[in-house]
Amino acid sequence: MNLERLAVRARLRSPWESIDLGIALARQQWWPLFLVWLLPAALLFGACYLLIPESPNLSLLLVWWLKPVFDRLPLFLASRSLFGESVSALAALRQFFAQNRRDWFAWISWRRLSPTRAFDMPVTLLEQSSGAARAARIGVLHRKHASAATWLTLTGFHLETFLLIALVALIYLFIPEQVQIDWMPLFGGDTQWFEWTVNALYLLVMAALAPFYVVSGFCLYIGRRIELEAWDIEIQFRKLRDRHQRERKHREKSKSRAPLAAQLMLLCALGIAAGAAPEVRADSVDTPQEARETIDEVLAGEDFHQLEQVSGWRLKEIDWTQSEFPEWLIALLEWLENRPRDTDQESGWGPFVGLLIEILLWLVVAGLVIYLLWRYREAIVRSLQLRKKAAPKKATPETLFGLDVRQSSLPADVCAEVLRLWRAGDQRDGLGLLYRATLSHLIEDYQFEFGDHLTESECAQLVQQRQRQSEKAPQPDAAPQSGEEARRPVSAPLSGFVHQLTASWQQLAYAHRAPETTRVETLCGQWREAFANGH
Amino acid sequence: MLDTTYNVETPEGIDLRAQAAGPVPRVLAYAVDVFYRTLILAALGIALAFADRAGMGIWLLCSFLLEWFYPVFFEVMRGGQTPGKKAFGLMVVNDNLTPVSWGASLLRNLLRFADFLPFAYATGVISMTLSRHFQRLGDFAAGTMVVYRQAEKTATSLPEIAPLAPPRGLQLQDQQALISLAERHEALSEARQRELANLLEPITGKKDGAALDYLRSVGNWLLGK
Repeated sequence: MNLERLAVRARLRSPWESIDLGIALARQQWWPLFLVWLLPAALLFGACYLLIPESPNLSLLLVWWLKPVFDRLPLFLASRSLFGESVSALAALRQFFAQNRRDWFAWISWRRLSPTRAFDMPVTLLEQSSGAARAARIGVLHRKHASAATWLTLTGFHLETFLLIALVALIYLFIPEQVQIDWMPLFGGDTQWFEWTVNALYLLVMAALAPFYVVSGFCLYIGRRIELEAWDIEIQFRKLRDRHQRERKHREKSKSRAPLAAQLMLLCALGIAAGAAPEVRADSVDTPQEARETIDEVLAGEDFHQLEQVSGWRLKEIDWTQSEFPEWLIALLEWLENRPRDTDQESGWGPFVGLLIEILLWLVVAGLVIYLLWRYREAIVRSLQLRKKAAPKKATPETLFGLDVRQSSLPADVCAEVLRLWRAGDQRDGLGLLYRATLSHLIEDYQFEFGDHLTESECAQLVQQRQRQSEKAPQPDAAPQSGEEARRPVSAPLSGFVHQLTASWQQLAYAHRAPETTRVETLCGQWREAFANGH
Repeated sequence: MLDTTYNVETPEGIDLRAQAAGPVPRVLAYAVDVFYRTLILAALGIALAFADRAGMGIWLLCSFLLEWFYPVFFEVMRGGQTPGKKAFGLMVVNDNLTPVSWGASLLRNLLRFADFLPFAYATGVISMTLSRHFQRLGDFAAGTMVVYRQAEKTATSLPEIAPLAPPRGLQLQDQQALISLAERHEALSEARQRELANLLEPITGKKDGAALDYLRSVGNWLLGK
């Protein structure tokens, strides 16, 4: 299986879209598919005509029952052409018995009436699996697509019937009126040639529809596999890898030829510059006065004086308030009002019909209850289950933005150390210590999940977000959300502090603008209030 | 590359794209509509039974209106979707993918009688099956088509992994594939995902679990997680 030769676009499709794709694919090569279905079936039908000429309906039933046998060749052809391999109809016909070897009895006995026949057939024919392996495979495939496959079969069955009737009706429409036909014996089943003809037509309709049915089921199967095995991703990744390798080869090659290439490029650039001198299109105009004249000239020209007549129907404005109720409606209502009521005695059917309706109504109620239970089964089950165990605690990061944020790396008295460093002139280390101490406490005490993918401002925003959330839900401690770890709420002063500190740190770290000493002292004071109390 | 996608380019140079809907879902959607119409007519019939001949007349009028204007009403007023089409996520649009107009909707529904011939919409079904964008005769006449309404993307769970910036030189389709890999991390088997990740070994320089984790991180990044 070479995915690069796939003849259809690999993308995620809904089951219905997969069926549509099957229709399009079958339409493309309908003739060979039609022939490989029709020829074996027609042979069998012809043999029946010779052997049991007195029972045309039995013959048709036999052909109809053996549909899975005839379906295999179109499927074989379609599967080959999907991967860009063309097999002629004749070569496919030679394979008739080879393709029917696996599980043939199952398909014409207990699986014959399976509503997902076209969808399951590829598992037998292409994956060559049977028994328990097949059952497991079918289980996986059916999980999402079984309903569409069933509807496909039902639709196909009905279309077959309707198209046969339509075909017969079409022939009937073309019989001239003058031709007198005695229809009674024809429909009475006395004339065998008529039944053989209608059955032959049915065979034709079956053969005409079979490619669409088989290929749609096959595409449904392919769609499910694209989804399960991510063919679309694989194809794209292969393309990306090939492109990457080509580019690398190209780079290596061009590296050795760089001087020559540079000369060529220069030449080309010169050529382009020489050849592509801008062309002056409009007559150059010198003064605004001249420009105004030109504009007037253009405006007076033919282009701006074209008349077009448009005719169409439009609504008139009609005063509807004049007649609110038409006379006839009033008359009708009056007539209904004054109509003599028939008050004859209760008929014997009354109670029976009443009982029937009552039973029906109760059935509807029961059905509704069952449906609601089924619809919300997951919510009900979830509400019955105990709360899940707490998720394993995530590994806290050790460094953020190149700063060590482990608690163990912090000094015992952070603020004193910060102020000492600050006064010693080591401003960067001082404020940096305060910042990483804050991050460290936010991670440890407030369970924030900071990671390398966040910027400093994003960390501050996360803190602010949590503060807003805890404002919205007033008692987060009393009712922790189910399934989610109860996280400590953030107070407004803490959020404000983190915001200010982040701004100061960014100014110092990236712009090299140190804040004033008083500001650092205020920040230290705020830090103590926020974190130091608990320790 | 065979696909059922229908493309239109607007005068502004914007590519619009929709998936044309084929005969099977459309037949089923029609069956649902017929079911609803039958229900309404049955209910009307019971309700109008008291007014015998007048009721019969009203009922016939209603059945006429339902037959011809039920689809028109829903197609124009309800975003191209009759209840049956809504059940299958289909909608009627003009063939430039604008919402269907009154004239087009009336025409395509009045021409159902042509599609009906000789019996049970045989012509319509055959025309739908054989035409490139699954149009029946009424669709051709009115310049309309039936497409899938794009379902709103439900939020999928992303892998729990910190985002990482993608390598340079990824094209749009490559990025979409990476996003798809991240979004489908629960649907695809782990072994298959590793196999996919190993395909990109020349670019990522990683193998198996590490490669998969890296690609998932990039997917998360592209999704702005």
